[in-house]
Amino acid sequence: MRIGIVCPYSWDIPGGVSAHVADLAEALIRMGHFVSVLAPAEFDDFLPDYVVSTGKPRAVKYNGSVARLSFGPIAARKVSKWVEEGEFDVLHVHEPLAPSLSVLACWAAKGPIVATWHSSMDKSRMMLTLSKLAQTAMEKVSARIAVSEAARTTLIKHVDGDAVVIPNGVDISAFCNAKPMFGWPGANLSIVFLGRGDEPRKGLSVLVDAYPEIRRNHPNVRLLIAGPGEPANILKSLSREDRASVTLLGMIAPQDKASVLASGTIYVAPNTGGESFGIVLLEAMATGTPVIASDLEAFSRVLDYGRAGLTFENENSADLAKVVSGLLADPIQRDELSVQGKSRAAEFDWSVVAKRIVDVYESIRVPGVKVEPDLTGQMIGRLGRGRITPESRSD
Amino acid sequence: MSSQSIIVIVAIAFAIWYLSYQAGRLDRLHHRIEVTELALHGQLLRRGGIVAELAAVPGIDPALCVLWGQAAHEALILQEVSSPQRTQVEDELTNILVMTLNDPEEVNEIRCNQHASLLLDELLQVSERIKMSQQFHTDAVRDCLEIREQFLVRFFRLAGRANPPVPVDLNVQIPSALFG
Repeated sequence: MRIGIVCPYSWDIPGGVSAHVADLAEALIRMGHFVSVLAPAEFDDFLPDYVVSTGKPRAVKYNGSVARLSFGPIAARKVSKWVEEGEFDVLHVHEPLAPSLSVLACWAAKGPIVATWHSSMDKSRMMLTLSKLAQTAMEKVSARIAVSEAARTTLIKHVDGDAVVIPNGVDISAFCNAKPMFGWPGANLSIVFLGRGDEPRKGLSVLVDAYPEIRRNHPNVRLLIAGPGEPANILKSLSREDRASVTLLGMIAPQDKASVLASGTIYVAPNTGGESFGIVLLEAMATGTPVIASDLEAFSRVLDYGRAGLTFENENSADLAKVVSGLLADPIQRDELSVQGKSRAAEFDWSVVAKRIVDVYESIRVPGVKVEPDLTGQMIGRLGRGRITPESRSD
Repeated sequence: MSSQSIIVIVAIAFAIWYLSYQAGRLDRLHHRIEVTELALHGQLLRRGGIVAELAAVPGIDPALCVLWGQAAHEALILQEVSSPQRTQVEDELTNILVMTLNDPEEVNEIRCNQHASLLLDELLQVSERIKMSQQFHTDAVRDCLEIREQFLVRFFRLAGRANPPVPVDLNVQIPSALFG
């Protein structure tokens, strides 16, 4: 299949949407499809082969933060040219309401168009953006995908119609065969924490408050803390003996993340809020380390409501101590969670997620019908077009 | 030229532009409906083919073979893309699949045959595509009817001779035991 993907945000700055688009494009190419990605990019030199740049993006305040977008007549012309030359079977635009390339592509093209909603927006901004013109562009979208239940809920509330939920993918291959760091967890038990130590939302203090109780139940347990930020203030509350069993790794290189996660008997994610997905949980599960996380909705969903990992009451150190102590005492349950976690993580691997996205493409496309330039619905344009006749299906 | 006649000319020009713009919207929506409907039809045909092949796998018991073969044949020989007959025939096929593939133990037994197992995987995939296809087609029909019901659109017959689109009311249930 020939697939055109539009990323509205700058390719140079790795962010949620552009990382998603890059992973998706590479997964689709591995599956044997032809992929062209249209994105704003400042530097042409380091772009992958499959990216076509629309030039330097402009920084604009949008959706509560500064986004680097591409718009204006020159960008619009480049989009039209890309659509015309691409001869795509499917056009896949991301974040279609961002005032950037995606909405331009919806304007410039017609045919099988798929749109993915990434973020949830509040109503007033949504209505503002959904002015008449944007609405016309949205009418050309045949299939809608939302990356989370939250994004889907906003979409249903403010736009007519439903969306298929397909979550973000995770590249779990790097985590599947991770080896623990030398000497970990060894004959002892260990708990791993990963994240900024001085960011309250990551919840390190919840874990540290629970730690003395856990050590009373399991005196040979150790705590491994990895991530930037200085957690000294939080650790002050520990007794000297408890403090001595804590190892601080500081900031770790991305390629070491897997072996750090694999070094734990248990991985604990005590985050207190602001998490929409929980990629690091899936990464830990992929290494086979059992996961205990706060009962945020996003985490509970990733853990399949207790089947692939345990949860404790958010911000409740006593409950965390109870759940951790219980799991440390039960190697059979740990083995069970390790197996379940691995298979749960595999469901989110990009190869699986990309297949589900291809199913969406296939459910709206007809062999022989290409994405074509749209001559903005003039009366004259309508006269020349007959009915569509599909080619015989050969796939 | 008096200022009044300029206002009239501008108003007429605007009205013409607006009607042409609405007609263009409608045209694109009809196009979207056509393509989604053909896509749905394509997936339905693919399902018929898979079930027919499944019925022909050596070792499938004769009762299943007849049920599947018959229902798939009915679906495959029908010419119409969308008609009450099409819906009826596809629903019958769906009902037979749901009836015969709802017991995990039985499905596991069928899956002992490697070829049948591959076909069941394909059947699950195509069933999910049909479900999505139908949803996307219904979305398109709803968007289109919303505009067709506007007063000006009806008054000026902007929809032309195109019949009002109808959603395809298919049973898209997926046999439970197909999810491994």
